[in-house]
Amino acid sequence: MSWTNHLPALVVAVPLFGAFGAPLVSKAGRIPRNVWFILIAVLTALFSLLLWQHVNATGTAVYVMGGSAWNLPLPSGMQLPVRILLEVDSFGALMALIGSICTLAGALFSLQFMEKFTGLDKYVALYLLLTAGMQGMVLTGDLFNLFVFIEIASVASFGLVAFWRDRPEAVEAGFKYMLISTVGVMFILFAIAFLYGRYNVVNMGAIGANLQYGLPEKVALIFLVVALAMKCGSVPMHMWTPDAYAEAPAAVTCLLVAVSQASLYALFRVCFSIYGMSLGSSAVAWAIIVLGCLSMFIGVTMAVIQKEIKRLMAYHSVSQVGYMLLGLGVGLLALGNPQEMSDYGMTAIKGGLFHLLNYTMYKPLLFLCAGALFYAAKSRNLNDLGGLAKKMPYTTVLFVLAAAAIAGLPPFNGYVSKLLIYESSFAVHPILPVVAMVTSMLTLASFVKVFQTAFLGPEKEVFSSVREVPQSMLLGMGLLALVILGLTFFPSWSLDHFITPAAEALVDKASYVGAVLGGGF
Amino acid sequence: MFSTVVSGYGFWNLFSWLTFFICIAALVLWFRSQGRKDYKEDSPQDEIFYGGNPVPRDGADITVPASSAYWGFKKALRGFYVLLDSWHSGVATDYVAWLVFTVAIFALLLAF
Amino acid sequence: MIGNLPYVIVGLLFVYGLFAVIFERNLVKIAVGVSVVEAAANLMLIVYGYRSGGNIPVFTLGGEGGSFVLPTPQALTLTAIVISLATSALMLSMIMVLYRHYGTLDVREIRRLRG
Repeated sequence: MSWTNHLPALVVAVPLFGAFGAPLVSKAGRIPRNVWFILIAVLTALFSLLLWQHVNATGTAVYVMGGSAWNLPLPSGMQLPVRILLEVDSFGALMALIGSICTLAGALFSLQFMEKFTGLDKYVALYLLLTAGMQGMVLTGDLFNLFVFIEIASVASFGLVAFWRDRPEAVEAGFKYMLISTVGVMFILFAIAFLYGRYNVVNMGAIGANLQYGLPEKVALIFLVVALAMKCGSVPMHMWTPDAYAEAPAAVTCLLVAVSQASLYALFRVCFSIYGMSLGSSAVAWAIIVLGCLSMFIGVTMAVIQKEIKRLMAYHSVSQVGYMLLGLGVGLLALGNPQEMSDYGMTAIKGGLFHLLNYTMYKPLLFLCAGALFYAAKSRNLNDLGGLAKKMPYTTVLFVLAAAAIAGLPPFNGYVSKLLIYESSFAVHPILPVVAMVTSMLTLASFVKVFQTAFLGPEKEVFSSVREVPQSMLLGMGLLALVILGLTFFPSWSLDHFITPAAEALVDKASYVGAVLGGGF
Repeated sequence: MFSTVVSGYGFWNLFSWLTFFICIAALVLWFRSQGRKDYKEDSPQDEIFYGGNPVPRDGADITVPASSAYWGFKKALRGFYVLLDSWHSGVATDYVAWLVFTVAIFALLLAF
Repeated sequence: MIGNLPYVIVGLLFVYGLFAVIFERNLVKIAVGVSVVEAAANLMLIVYGYRSGGNIPVFTLGGEGGSFVLPTPQALTLTAIVISLATSALMLSMIMVLYRHYGTLDVREIRRLRG
């Protein structure tokens, strides 16, 4: 058994080990702590890249925690997946890779950004714990394990959002996030209890194989969809998003974006791989599309009028999640019908997944630029900033890159994924791409406002001593910008190698179930 | 590597977009260079007009603040924004109320 | 119908906890409401594991023959109880820090982040 079989467990175990080792290593000083932080982040990124290659080469990887084979027969002769399984298909491996890139970028950024603050050993421990929770969410194969990793990631993020606890607003934001997140996760536990009571298994593949769409399954679906949509930040449960994203330190917001995308992964795993065809062209698909349209419109109209830069970007986060819900809702609508699927369904799912990949690259870059502005100019209020372009040229260029990507300007990667979403949603109803395009225009409007007020304009005397941010922060931002440029220049290569395997793994419920139940489906 | 992304009704090719952009950019820059011959940079021709008053030296006195950007947009959609502000009240328990409200709406949708 | 009584009671407990979270003003009462919601979810797992006439799921102590209640939801519930312990502790300590900063425990007063 070669060591690559252990990769799924390594991707979760390495940041977990790093989190628990961080307070010990920090006793030795500042340099060992920073070295440990970057080493663990680089190792996680390396292992998730190897895992992605392994899964694309050899198909869905199933790993049992505990070592022995996952399909041990029970004494009655029946074969059931009864251990804690990690099941990684192309979609999960892609999410793990994306998440680890965000971790590495945020880790590089926070080396210098957090230097002036105390308690940094706990910061490193919580940050790596959040990474471990996020990777566990996307690699797991059963529902209760998903609940446990969602809680790990959530509790770590409560601590990180309230990290600057001398600031009352930060603790308020942490409390509000904690309240709604705990209630939502209890909804998820209720749904798991319903599904367990019906099928006596918590494994996602096993539930998907035996699912009969009756009343308890409908209730469980409602609880799961609404609670996971809350964790992503979709309207009308989005109100924690501006508070939490604005008050967290910038490197933490970079990782919170990736964690909300892991919740989106869980939402689509539930809809496509557990429920599957029974949801095609039903009310749930239309409800997800309506949630997507509402999120897009309300998110961006609230964003245009904001005065604080990170709150503005967090409202944009809400609206971009609406794009993904729209794309994947259209795909869910077409799921049962092979003709519609080949017409617009697969394009919609590919558009939604490509938008997920693009968003998780340009949004953390935007938040890191806002963090760089906060580090240099000591203010997050757009009324105070101004004329910083000549003093911070690298930050300006990176901000323009990310803002053009989020606004969907050609030639950047945001444009390609939005094009796929517009064209496929037009086939369902013409009003959907109209809402999407109006959102895109208002997104461009609000980022022109941010660029003009923060970077352009006459130089202020109060900022006469502002210099460019330190090298490690630029390195973190540059990593994300490199990935954005790669996706910009090679869109069809990225679509063919990253997105199409993930989209096909997502809609193919039979192969997801078959990997666990061994063809007995 | 510059191959085309085909979406349902259209396509996207980076190479052709860049070619188009470079041609148009060249044209625009040529138009822009056909200016007046008597313009000199950094001369009194370059000063901003501040109503006849002397221009303040500190940039903070002449910036347009961010709160006044899009004031017309906000005024035109005032009813909509009053409604949205009442929803985003900031009270923590209202957030949970919205979550329960969404569960209720979904339950109504799925029951029929 | 009488066999459904445990489920109905757990559902009522869940709704009761949700009412406390949504309509109470004092932060500590909201935290108590969250604890009631968590207790209801844990109890739901146990109730779903019950088999009528079942013994405790320990092979050597439950007596020979007969049926056992399912042990898996008991393991799931233990995990969920530990998780809710951690979140309750964090929530109460955050309420303490909020009181120190704002001077009030009224959730309608703690709204500097709005709009």
